[in-house]
Amino acid sequence: MKTEDFRITQYALGELHGKDREEFERELAASEELQRELEQTIALCDRLTELPKDEDTLTDRQRESLRNACAIECTNRRQRQIVQRVLAYAALVMGGIILATMALPAVSSSLSQPSQAMLAQLEARRERKAEEVQIAAEKPQTMVAAAATPPALGDVAKTGPATDTPAEQTKSDLLALALSANNLQVQELEQSDKKLLADGSASTAAIMSIAAPSAPASTMTAAPGSLEKTKQAVSGDIPIAGRLFASQAPATREAAKERLDGRAGAFRDEDQSRQRAINEARGTFNTEAYDAIEDNPFRETKGNELSTFSIDVDTASYANVRRFLQSEQLPPAGAVRIEELVNYFGYNYPQPTNGQPFSVNVEVSKAPWAPQHELVRIALKGQEIPKGDRGPANLVFLIDVSGSMQPENKLPLLKRSLKALVENLAPDDRVAIVVYAGSSGLVLPSTPGKEKTRILEALDNLAAGGSTNGAQGITLAYQTARENFLKGGNNRVILCTDGDFNVGVTNQSDLTTLIERERASGVFLSVLGFGEGNLKDSTMEKLADKGNGNYAYIDSFSEGRKVLVEQMNSTLFTIAKDVKVQVEFNPAQVAGYRLIGYENRILAKEDFNDDRKDAGEIGAGHTVTALYEVVPAGQPLPNRPSVDPLKYSEPSPTAEIDRKASGELLTVKLRYKAPDGDTSKLIEVPVKNTPVAFDEASPDFQFAAAVAAFGMKLRNSPYAGDLSWSDIQKIARRNLGEDPGSYRAEFLTLIEKAARLQSGK
Amino acid sequence: MSPEEIIDHALERYERPLISYAKGITGDLESARDAVQETFLRLSRQDVRALEKRLAPWLFFVCRNCALDHQRKVLRFPDGALSEEQPSDAPSPSAEVSASEDGLLLKKLVSQLPPQQRELIQLKFDAGLSYKEMSEATRMSISNVGVQLHTAIQTLRKLWNRENTEAVS
Repeated sequence: MKTEDFRITQYALGELHGKDREEFERELAASEELQRELEQTIALCDRLTELPKDEDTLTDRQRESLRNACAIECTNRRQRQIVQRVLAYAALVMGGIILATMALPAVSSSLSQPSQAMLAQLEARRERKAEEVQIAAEKPQTMVAAAATPPALGDVAKTGPATDTPAEQTKSDLLALALSANNLQVQELEQSDKKLLADGSASTAAIMSIAAPSAPASTMTAAPGSLEKTKQAVSGDIPIAGRLFASQAPATREAAKERLDGRAGAFRDEDQSRQRAINEARGTFNTEAYDAIEDNPFRETKGNELSTFSIDVDTASYANVRRFLQSEQLPPAGAVRIEELVNYFGYNYPQPTNGQPFSVNVEVSKAPWAPQHELVRIALKGQEIPKGDRGPANLVFLIDVSGSMQPENKLPLLKRSLKALVENLAPDDRVAIVVYAGSSGLVLPSTPGKEKTRILEALDNLAAGGSTNGAQGITLAYQTARENFLKGGNNRVILCTDGDFNVGVTNQSDLTTLIERERASGVFLSVLGFGEGNLKDSTMEKLADKGNGNYAYIDSFSEGRKVLVEQMNSTLFTIAKDVKVQVEFNPAQVAGYRLIGYENRILAKEDFNDDRKDAGEIGAGHTVTALYEVVPAGQPLPNRPSVDPLKYSEPSPTAEIDRKASGELLTVKLRYKAPDGDTSKLIEVPVKNTPVAFDEASPDFQFAAAVAAFGMKLRNSPYAGDLSWSDIQKIARRNLGEDPGSYRAEFLTLIEKAARLQSGK
Repeated sequence: MSPEEIIDHALERYERPLISYAKGITGDLESARDAVQETFLRLSRQDVRALEKRLAPWLFFVCRNCALDHQRKVLRFPDGALSEEQPSDAPSPSAEVSASEDGLLLKKLVSQLPPQQRELIQLKFDAGLSYKEMSEATRMSISNVGVQLHTAIQTLRKLWNRENTEAVS
């Protein structure tokens, strides 16, 4: 008996399989003692499973820096892999060439003089490059070694008088230096590899075509970004890093920093010009060229009369940029998506009046960063659903934060879904958050929708852990809802749980009585189910039913968004989908133009009328802004070498007619579908060329221009022009307007930060 | 899934049990946190995709080593510049009263088990690892895991029954 004992536990835990299991079950049936043992073991296992979980986690800050550090490590790893791959290709090519040269004497007589000379040249160059690679490959170790020496110094310093440098920061800087030195060398290595490849000429063409798609695109765009990220994450609060090094003399630290910054800057510039060259080479008019986030170039109107893109209502980039700047780092250029910066802010565009789902407004003024150019703003405004159609909402989230809510598809998903809802609340809606687990509590007292940041922060700070006791929670939630009751509004408790709704001391019928009573007071109950396995479907449905509410199950973010946005907030539904914009420029008025931002939203001109092509959605009340920088006819296009006028092509007669027919600058065309429709409708808006002075443009126009200028400067865009940071801030400050939510005011502080960081102070 | 996503996912899923596991070894929350951070940093230097299938045992194995490293360091500096200890076993004040008494007793009993058995209990019931994963995480054979875990559970059962009958009598 004793030897078989451990099978009891194994069986109880479902770890006994196959023959052993069958045998055990036979024995089990025969022995009552064994059955008793098993029963008790299972009971204990259940108890162990239900044991209150230890609720300790990392601090939010630790987690954040850890995530960043991990992301950097992953990026570095990928880069190393690319280097290895490129080196392998290079070796292959060289092998091939050597073989070819060995075979050369046999065919040399048939080769012409020049090609032999070329081969020889090629050979010589290749050898040189190979040496360079060798040297570059040896560098990283020495660099890292150099960077790693200071800790030894630090040991000395520790025994000496205390320095005034905060130890934590010094350590971080050191680690940053070590990491980024490594990083830089890797990148240099890649560069030389690529040169080597590029020099491989005809015989390597086939190999190039394998290597090219992965190598240039990814490494080129990753390089500056990862460096910045490294600096950012490492100088963040990583206690491990903190413990690695002791304090160090400030002088060394300054020197190290200088070296680091100098190198970073130089590298960034070089990299950007290189990338531009690549884009140029790929053909600027090819939509594929926009895959990498690189500023849209100026396009000559002649031959490129149409500019087509999909709308984008995302605003993530702004938040990301803000995060970088607030942690005293410049964001990598790739993270700055100008259209998302511009669209982050709300604008006072007029409502549609003619029964269309959105209005289109075009304003023409001067570009503040290039006064000789015009700036055209295309502004869309989705129709607002009249406020009268629904009362304000008084929502109380009752959130289960017990340990079982930990998995990704529960609490984290719940948070994201609720955030989507909160983002779209009206200012006079109210939100409170009650949590329940081991204890229940009011995490956020009823807060108006205009204090979004407070609500979002409270959601952010929720963490799972503890066991469930729903009874107190639900009482508290109802009480909160009643205290903030809005007459004629949507008063609702939203219970979010995986169904492990432990009623504790209250029994089920008491709970339903409670809910029914509350229903009479006008507070309704909605239930949102999350996760699997534990889901007590029927209980939840019953509760929702009694609470005069609905029960929905949320398995993904898109579902969460759908349910929360559609059901809880009627102002928020998609009013038009697949919204595309096509602008036709009049060559008689416009020499060239440049779409600012939307780099990854560019469509081919044929896509505009193709209803199968997907595009962006616009919700009720959404505003979308697109800016074009326009070069008036007769002026040269900046940053483009001039081309001699065509000798054989005459200007077409229709163009002549156009010229006479209209003083029109451009025509904006929009296509959109109804939310449930399959065929698109077309809106056309012709625009006269009557620019007003920039100072006389609408405040929203000026503010949007300031945001775009900020983005370009932050990206080190070649089109940023000569506005200084303080010029940009002045424009923004003049045009704050009403600024609900103080987002524009916050923008002013970001400009200051960016200015300070870019000047290196 | 990209490596970053896998790591994020692992963080969501295992952060809490890993901290709890590490705390069992180091005895204090701060070094447990350090150990877990170190674990994930090491993870990000691995070929995460190749590890994905056996992520849990890998994490717990590495975390165990990191935690032991920390513990060794603390032992070397026994005056404990690092130990701003929080009593880890103290009941949190918010703990539910009705359910917690049984829970506390059982927790106490678990903490009295030999370290190896205590770790296995944690891996099984807190982190939800299978026998196979536990064997990988602890470098014990599967059958040894089975035997040790069984011993642990039977010990707990005996102690539990004794405490409860004592309480009744």
